[in-house]
Amino acid sequence: MIKAHKIDYKNKDYKILESVDISVGYGEFIAIIGPNGAGKSSLLNVLANEINTGKKQEIYFKEKILTDWKIEDLSKHKAKFSQHNSQDIPLLVKDVVMMGRYPYFHSQPGNDDCKSTENAMHETDVIHLQNRDYNSLSGGEKQRVHLARVFAQLDNDVAHRLLFLDEPLNNLDVRHQHNALELIKNFTKKNNTAIVVLHDLNMAANFADKVLLMEKGKAISYGTPENVFVPEIISNAYNFPCTICKHPVNQNPMILFG
Amino acid sequence: MFLALNIGVYDFEESSAFQVLWKFISGDSTLPISEKYIIWDVRASRIVLSVLVGSMLAVSGTSLQGMFKNPLATGDLIGLTSGATLLAAIAIVLGHTFQEFLPEWLRVSLVSISAFIGALLAMILVYRISTSGGQTNVVMMLLAGVAITAIGFAITGLLIYISKDDQLRDLTFWNLGSLAGATWTKNTILFLVLLVSYFIILPKGKALNAMMLGEKDAQHLGIDVEKLKKQIIILTALMVGSCVAFSGTIGFVGLIIPYILRQIFRSDYHFILPLSAICGSILLLIADTISRTIVAPSELPIGILTGLMGAPVFIAILLKFKNNLR
Repeated sequence: MIKAHKIDYKNKDYKILESVDISVGYGEFIAIIGPNGAGKSSLLNVLANEINTGKKQEIYFKEKILTDWKIEDLSKHKAKFSQHNSQDIPLLVKDVVMMGRYPYFHSQPGNDDCKSTENAMHETDVIHLQNRDYNSLSGGEKQRVHLARVFAQLDNDVAHRLLFLDEPLNNLDVRHQHNALELIKNFTKKNNTAIVVLHDLNMAANFADKVLLMEKGKAISYGTPENVFVPEIISNAYNFPCTICKHPVNQNPMILFG
Repeated sequence: MFLALNIGVYDFEESSAFQVLWKFISGDSTLPISEKYIIWDVRASRIVLSVLVGSMLAVSGTSLQGMFKNPLATGDLIGLTSGATLLAAIAIVLGHTFQEFLPEWLRVSLVSISAFIGALLAMILVYRISTSGGQTNVVMMLLAGVAITAIGFAITGLLIYISKDDQLRDLTFWNLGSLAGATWTKNTILFLVLLVSYFIILPKGKALNAMMLGEKDAQHLGIDVEKLKKQIIILTALMVGSCVAFSGTIGFVGLIIPYILRQIFRSDYHFILPLSAICGSILLLIADTISRTIVAPSELPIGILTGLMGAPVFIAILLKFKNNLR
């Protein structure tokens, strides 16, 4: 799906990413975890073609160098949910969600565009807000509106779509956190891929197929949750003592700090 | 438009202005030459000029606001108009030395080309100062406008000081803003500018909406943000520059129209972009008709009227954004 070799990224003289290798296959749910300032968001931005790293990076998206893709085509193959969404958009909620369909229609949305947005709003539980002003919503509700927007954007027939999400669970309550991750999980079950930056390690352990642990701009561990969530690795990376046991219900690793 | 045609200082005696216009169009040879001149070269051309200028000023304001993601971005507030005025003034004063050797269309375009270059330079300067990493700092944007206006004001003042009488008249005309200088040559040039600009800008409603998400997210929606910004920068400079070249500084049209439309359609550029083209021309046509009738037989500079309407809108937007500007 997406493959990158030795990504370096510097901001002024600060090394933010240092020779990170990553290779993600079809149908995988990847969680990127790590302490603050580890370069999680930067890695996501580089992979999503948002920042120019200055020199030629070889990032292959579907066997083709990422920068060789046309911007219009990319928008149907991948979408990104940003960490800092705009707080001031003087439009109705349904108009904001409809932006996700912009790659698909020229001037007026068609029937399937309306269906896609409605569907996405149902899934993220914002359908009752569709005629509200976006600016009047709370932080968590805005977050769900943007989630609906990226899902509407990738509602198409392209095989193997890729979704980037940067801390999608911010501001969400427990029910909506689980709902959002369920949605992403279902999306990856259809042979699509999701790369998600998460702060909640237990959520990552429950939902992700693979976990990438980052620290100080380097990828220090990459593998299944069982392989990454090992007490020594985690307490070293976060510089905080932790114990890991089995989740009593689903047997996934459960991380307890302190 | 028809009302505007009928109202005016000159009295057509028995017949109404429409009959005169009809006689002119149908080539009636009984029409006195003075009436012919008034109806076609003075009144009709002025009406067309006000429609063109109003429309382009409003559209340039709306698209700048889309690009800067802020309802305060308009040609006059961020210094585009001053930049255009400045270079147009230089062209008038210095251009006089070799103007006699040029045909009329080139003489008219010399001023418009320099106005365009002035607007473009101002635009690039403001953009560089106020925007970094896709984020616009509103305070920086407005202050950069103030700075450019100050430079423009100083140099225009200097030019007025050194200029001869007939140049002085031209320069004063610029600073006040007036549609009285309408000719069909100017209208044709403006119309061409309008066609080219609208052909590219008016379908950009979706793209400008997506820009509200932020430039990076707009890019994820398949919009070539860099290309869009370049197009808007060049075309707004072209529109503002040519408007300034032919009608001087008419302020606030680009602020009032989008503001009113936003109250009705929120910020949906899909609607407000084409509608500002229409409403802008209506506003300026009304303002111009008032300006040339209210103190007849003399006329009020049109900038006074648009300023009276625009300044309260400016204050209203400032009040609304008081919390964000802190």
